[in-house]
Amino acid sequence: MKRYDLIVIGAGPAGLSAATEAASHGLRVAVFDENARPGGQLFKQIHKFFGSKEHKAKIRGYDIGRELLKEAESLGVEVFLNAPVIGLYAEKEVVARHADGVRHYKGDTVIVATGASENMLTFEGWTLPGVMGAGAAQTMMNINRVTPGERVLMLGSGNVGLVVGYQLIQAGCELVAIIDAAPRVGGYGVHAAKVARTGVPFYLSHTVVRAEGTDRVTGVTIGEVDASWQIIAGSEKHFDVDTICIAVGLSPSTQLLKMAGADMAEPAAGAGFLPVCSATGETSISGLYASGDVSGIEEASSAMIEGRISGVAAAGKLGFADAETVETRLNALETALSALHEGLFAPRNRGKSVPLTDEGIDNSQHLLKNGYLADDEVAKYPGVKRVSGVHPIIECTQNIPCNPCQDACPKQCIKVGANIVALPVFDETSACIGCGQCVAACSGQSIFLVNDDIGDNLASVTIPYEFLPLPEKGDVGTALDRSGTPICAATVTDVRAAKAFDHTSLLTFSVPRDEYMRARFWKKGAAV
Amino acid sequence: MRIANHPILGEPEVREKVTFTHDGAEIEGYAGEPIAAALRAAGIVIHRYTKKYHAPRGIFCAIGRCTDCVMVVNGKPNVRTCVTPLESGMTVDTQYGAGGERA
Repeated sequence: MKRYDLIVIGAGPAGLSAATEAASHGLRVAVFDENARPGGQLFKQIHKFFGSKEHKAKIRGYDIGRELLKEAESLGVEVFLNAPVIGLYAEKEVVARHADGVRHYKGDTVIVATGASENMLTFEGWTLPGVMGAGAAQTMMNINRVTPGERVLMLGSGNVGLVVGYQLIQAGCELVAIIDAAPRVGGYGVHAAKVARTGVPFYLSHTVVRAEGTDRVTGVTIGEVDASWQIIAGSEKHFDVDTICIAVGLSPSTQLLKMAGADMAEPAAGAGFLPVCSATGETSISGLYASGDVSGIEEASSAMIEGRISGVAAAGKLGFADAETVETRLNALETALSALHEGLFAPRNRGKSVPLTDEGIDNSQHLLKNGYLADDEVAKYPGVKRVSGVHPIIECTQNIPCNPCQDACPKQCIKVGANIVALPVFDETSACIGCGQCVAACSGQSIFLVNDDIGDNLASVTIPYEFLPLPEKGDVGTALDRSGTPICAATVTDVRAAKAFDHTSLLTFSVPRDEYMRARFWKKGAAV
Repeated sequence: MRIANHPILGEPEVREKVTFTHDGAEIEGYAGEPIAAALRAAGIVIHRYTKKYHAPRGIFCAIGRCTDCVMVVNGKPNVRTCVTPLESGMTVDTQYGAGGERA
């Protein structure tokens, strides 16, 4: 039986991070993954990540995946692909199935980083071809480069539903609506806003009544739910769609941990069982760790930190790193992790209504109910100041862990501070040069550059733009407001693309002066 | 529909075009892509019919978890088409029930 200092199960963000961290302390590490490609779900994440520079913020998921793989490779981590782990025993014996047969391995330590799988929701017609997980749609378009359908309804307004919804539009699909049975948008407001301003309606307190079709989905009926989640008669709405995507959360893939006999517990009644873990992810079995989504659903940025925490803990346990080294490293990683656990979406705020931001400003209820900010509330936030000349308008209104805008500005116009969930503040006394770095750097696409007077009674608005075909200077079109409603004629005056913008183009268009605080998207052609 | 150009991912890498058969009809796809992707690009969404109710099923998770997309590939039933790479000359057939059954 082959022996390793550390065996990692799962080559996703947590597993690869755990492996590289451990290998950097000198451990001999093997990683097993059932897939043909490493990276878990990282390579289908094509959006810019949130967090701070240390959390690889503003880097797209697939680039983070590539970096991690390179690091693992350079440290001599052995990665076994197409090798599903089919057994894990308390003595940390790992059984993997390879193409040529089943083999047994022994790990002095084992880190389980098996991730999670999508939850499903049943309704009439839910088994029809065309009903699929949002993650499935994401795999089809971003990995396989095939659209899952032409016209899509998204069920679920958490970050997965919002991000995949946006990516469906990027892939050329028509997103007819995002719906959620909950009364509030579940994911980041900035993710919702970038979908809403393209004209996609949000239906909160709505769920699917039935998927229609005999051999495949040809339509969907949704309806509004009352306080006890029952459909309100007469509230039904029909859409012609060929695809219904389900984004109703994830469940940890804990099967191997249960098999090994690790203690499991339900954090709350009905919440599902999770492994009981120490701060380093160690389970009730000494030397067996759980890292990333398998230990509780979060997202890739925290999974990568959790992986590193378990990796350094394993190194300490086996004597590859002395106590002081381990402690210093753990402190740094735990500080980084706790920064991600702050703000409106902190674990302690789950399911709660939070009326005020940390700064004491109202959290926009309009944003939570409609997916976009109301025109008259934008000015309440510290990133929005109306001055003359070119300057940013930062429509970042929720305390989320993110700060690339602060580093992006060469003139230090934008300040988030040490607490990365703080709302960005625009310093109106500094000299914005209109470079647009902040617009491209904002992972939430919530920064716009405006110039209130470019002559001829016109103003200009610069938006982040990630769609094809890319408009050209001189194109005549229509400006849309935050809800995606056409408001006025708008001519493209500039289109900027730069390597540093990482595939986010900056589109500048001119609008009448009284519309620059409302115009937030652009479409070719005259308004109908 | 194949995504010819993508605002973030650009154009897909150049891949080898191959032919395979679906229920006897010749179809084109790319070598190495999941069988399910080639079928979806060709507009085929029904992968199998269930044993008891003869209900159609297609892609559901696309990562090899749910087994809804299984088909009869090269005569072998229950092959997960979302994670099985396409090869030239493959025969891919709609699966009825547990396989080996007829419509």
